[in-house]
Amino acid sequence: MNSRFGSNVLSILSLAILWEVVGRMMDSTLIPPLSKIGAAWWKLLSSGKLLANLGMSLTTLAMGFLLAVFVGVVLGLLMGRFRAVEHFLDLYVNALMSAPTTAFVPVLILWFGLGVESRIAVVFLFAVFVIIINTMTGVKQVDGVLVEMARSFGAKEREIFFKIILPAALPAIMAGLRLGIGRAVKGMVTAEMLLTLTGIGAMIMQYGSAFATDSLFAVILTILLVALVTMKGVQWLDRRLTGWKAEIAIE
Amino acid sequence: MFNQFKSFKTSEALRGPLHGLNDLNVLNILNERLCGANNMVEIQGVSKSFHKTVKDNTTEIKALSDVSLSVRENEFVSIIGPSGCGKTTLLKMIDGLIPYDSGKIVINGKQVTAPGPDRAVVFQSFALLPWRTVLANVEFSLELRQLPKEERAKTARDYLKRVGLADFENHYPHELSGGMQQRAGLARALAVNPAILLMDEPFGAVDAQTRQLLQEELLELWQRERKTVIFITHSMDEAVYLSDRVVVMTPRPGKVAEILDVPLPRPRVSEEVRRDGKFVDLTNYIWESLKHAMENHH
Repeated sequence: MNSRFGSNVLSILSLAILWEVVGRMMDSTLIPPLSKIGAAWWKLLSSGKLLANLGMSLTTLAMGFLLAVFVGVVLGLLMGRFRAVEHFLDLYVNALMSAPTTAFVPVLILWFGLGVESRIAVVFLFAVFVIIINTMTGVKQVDGVLVEMARSFGAKEREIFFKIILPAALPAIMAGLRLGIGRAVKGMVTAEMLLTLTGIGAMIMQYGSAFATDSLFAVILTILLVALVTMKGVQWLDRRLTGWKAEIAIE
Repeated sequence: MFNQFKSFKTSEALRGPLHGLNDLNVLNILNERLCGANNMVEIQGVSKSFHKTVKDNTTEIKALSDVSLSVRENEFVSIIGPSGCGKTTLLKMIDGLIPYDSGKIVINGKQVTAPGPDRAVVFQSFALLPWRTVLANVEFSLELRQLPKEERAKTARDYLKRVGLADFENHYPHELSGGMQQRAGLARALAVNPAILLMDEPFGAVDAQTRQLLQEELLELWQRERKTVIFITHSMDEAVYLSDRVVVMTPRPGKVAEILDVPLPRPRVSEEVRRDGKFVDLTNYIWESLKHAMENHH
């Protein structure tokens, strides 16, 4: 853990130095040195513009992702537990899982208009299928002996579901959430750039077309930070909920 | 009836090489059989087939054919047979986990249709929940029986103590050796205080030394708790060392080849029993019987 943290710091530091040096040598607007990006970032932050837009983006992200978690986990559990539900739905889930979600943006505009609903729908569509598939796989991989054991001690269907299936499938569900949050961030930015120019997506379009590369990179780095922090958040939740699994993996 | 008679015949057949079995013993056994004393488990002509479908081609696999067996209260009966002879299937049917096609399984006068509080299973693969501590695993069976929380912990701790796991209640299963995991599995089964303990090759997945230790501990526990035990195994000396009677089964479809009485006095001390001539003779006899059953099969 410690050596990993050290490597991370080393990696970031060396990239930052390289960037700064290359930026100064090029002396062009295409690759601004990191110090200039930092200054632009600070200006965006202190003016409140970045936080206002970020707040808007993160609200979309949270709503779309939570909806995707709820729908994804419920559908995944049903598909994993009941073969009829699986056979009824797996065709669509698999097709939509691999289809480029961006292609549905025009349809979503027609359905939901240009408001926040459309952006939430994009985030939802980006994240939901990977959560469904992971949850379903998790349920199907539950050790049959554990279910048999529970039944032997007199467990009813409801108890088997909540005391065996759900906890046993939790590591796979959490893996789905980890993949899902990454896709949700992509969905968030995509929606803001393609649908309505709002949030940090709008800032990217604005600075990009104005060749304000230092601000552009400042926003991009902010997005990377958001992706990293949300991912770490889900990982933290994962460790809290399924610590027993992590310990097994270490051994 | 036929089955009981057969059992008597086999004990008589054993009288030759097994010097310990005198006429008085035979008379006692005969008397007990004819009176049908306290049969806890009655298995009458049970058969079971599975259907296997491969590419629209359904084949029927006969797992068990006309199996009959009675087990008395507090008796320790082992069922031994080659792999795939349906021993585990039989155990699951006694537990009520899977239905049988024909025949009858009666426990304490009631026909088995589902798992019940009078039976508990010890599984070969331990079947512990990896996300629960040892204590919570033992509590699991009590949770399903709706015991109040404090009582659950108290009972679970009590049984963990009896199997020698008192100091490990906060460990997770993966932190324990196979032998300790199975002790937890045994504690979980005993905690619900079942009349009948169904053990499915419980020591099959642990190393030889641990296995012998666990056998001794099981006998001690059984001596104290007085339960009816049906024990599946493919180890001949394990069956003889532990049991009052050993049921030898044929390869698939599993039938009862013979039922043998174990004429060794209790309490049994492992080192002494294993050197005993009767132990050696009976173990050899079971081997011959198994070999015979397998040769006839092919």
